[in-house]
Amino acid sequence: MMNAAGSLGFSPDLHSPVDWSRLGAFVTNPVSLQPRTAARGSRFSTFPGGFLLHSGYPNLGLTNTLRRYSKHWNASPLPVIVNLLASSVEEVMRMARQLEPVEGVTGLEISLPNNATPELVQAFTRAALGELPVIVRLPVERSTELASGAINAGASAISLAPPRGAFRDQKGAWVQGRMYGPSVYPFSLRVVQELSQIGVPTIGAGGVTNLEQVNAMLAVGATAVQLDSIFWREAGYNIFP
Amino acid sequence: MGHYRGRVTEIRFELNRHLEAFIACPSQAVPHAGQYLLASDPDDPSASLGSSLFLAGQTSQGFWAVPSMPVTWKPGANLNLAGPLGHGFNLPANVQRLGLVGLGDTLARLMPVIQQFAASQGSMTLFSDLPLPEAPAALEAYPLASLVDALDWPDFIAFDLSLERVSELRDTLKLPMNSGLPCPAQALIISSMPCAGMAQCGACALPARRGWKLVCEDGPVFDLQSIKW
Repeated sequence: MMNAAGSLGFSPDLHSPVDWSRLGAFVTNPVSLQPRTAARGSRFSTFPGGFLLHSGYPNLGLTNTLRRYSKHWNASPLPVIVNLLASSVEEVMRMARQLEPVEGVTGLEISLPNNATPELVQAFTRAALGELPVIVRLPVERSTELASGAINAGASAISLAPPRGAFRDQKGAWVQGRMYGPSVYPFSLRVVQELSQIGVPTIGAGGVTNLEQVNAMLAVGATAVQLDSIFWREAGYNIFP
Repeated sequence: MGHYRGRVTEIRFELNRHLEAFIACPSQAVPHAGQYLLASDPDDPSASLGSSLFLAGQTSQGFWAVPSMPVTWKPGANLNLAGPLGHGFNLPANVQRLGLVGLGDTLARLMPVIQQFAASQGSMTLFSDLPLPEAPAALEAYPLASLVDALDWPDFIAFDLSLERVSELRDTLKLPMNSGLPCPAQALIISSMPCAGMAQCGACALPARRGWKLVCEDGPVFDLQSIKW
């Protein structure tokens, strides 16, 4: 098990109640080349069985992130996988090369735009390849279409980004964002099963809230499982008691 | 931060028709005014997230919690509690004239500040258009519109306002750009805090003098001068 990008911040907080011994790796929040501020407008809304989050993935940018967190990565008891949020092949390449010599970083996970084409997936993957293993985080809705391209281009595995959803809230405002919560799980499980059947090494993710669901994802072929908002329910306590 | 067990013993509507609940729990779990406690019902696996509870009143058995509780909570429900979390109100000891401004959806979160200050010899005045709960006799209350002409009165102001209204605060106070309040002030910012400080997820990001701050982690109570408004 590991955390999903965006679920536990930029470095493991060893003073938090999270039982780090239950995790095999730590995945950072998405990091972009330039600093990003939080999204404007409605960022969070609930629905029965889950919630939508549209945060804009605020972060300090790679240089400032390295300045602030690389010491923590080096001291981390877990292997650290840095999630890269890039908007071009050149950015992927620059960030990957900048991260390769950083002590404690043991892998890269590349997030892709929702409208990524198979060609872009391959180009991003190749640009990231170097000294570190590369995981490609695909939009779960399009993962069966895009996964083979990532693996053929040299990715070690693919992981699944939350699906995107939208609805009108009680005030009639249109809200959209990434979907989290238990209602996402059945869809995620089906996708993991399909990807495994075509031989794609897949890190399952999406709506996992208990150990039975982790085991079910492993049973249908996931090589590992990422957890997300389950860490937030009790501020890191009682993840899987 | 600690982890505790609690129990819902009573649920009622407060004046603004929000549900508030009495949570029986150890005294260490009770948040200070402006802090929050993350509560979840272990018997409700469909709940995606915990609820952020604020202090409205305290007894030796526990505390009255706001804002609106999940409708699935019933008296007798057991809760897992994590916290207290965040930074609460911290009134300077020498405050003589306390102004309170209610710009949120309830005045209940300001009540602990009012109760606490009532024990001092100072004066306090509340400015809000919300219905006033039972309050100490020492509290004077005025409509929000009166605040503009009374800004010179307090030597400290405690605000309760929603994240959406932070950008309107200057207009509400009719203050020109680049001018501040005549006295120090703290603001309890009310926002959804889905990650409760675990992830810096950004849902509660607030523009600050430099960059942004997170309500869940850096607040929920801020010195007003540290945020952009």
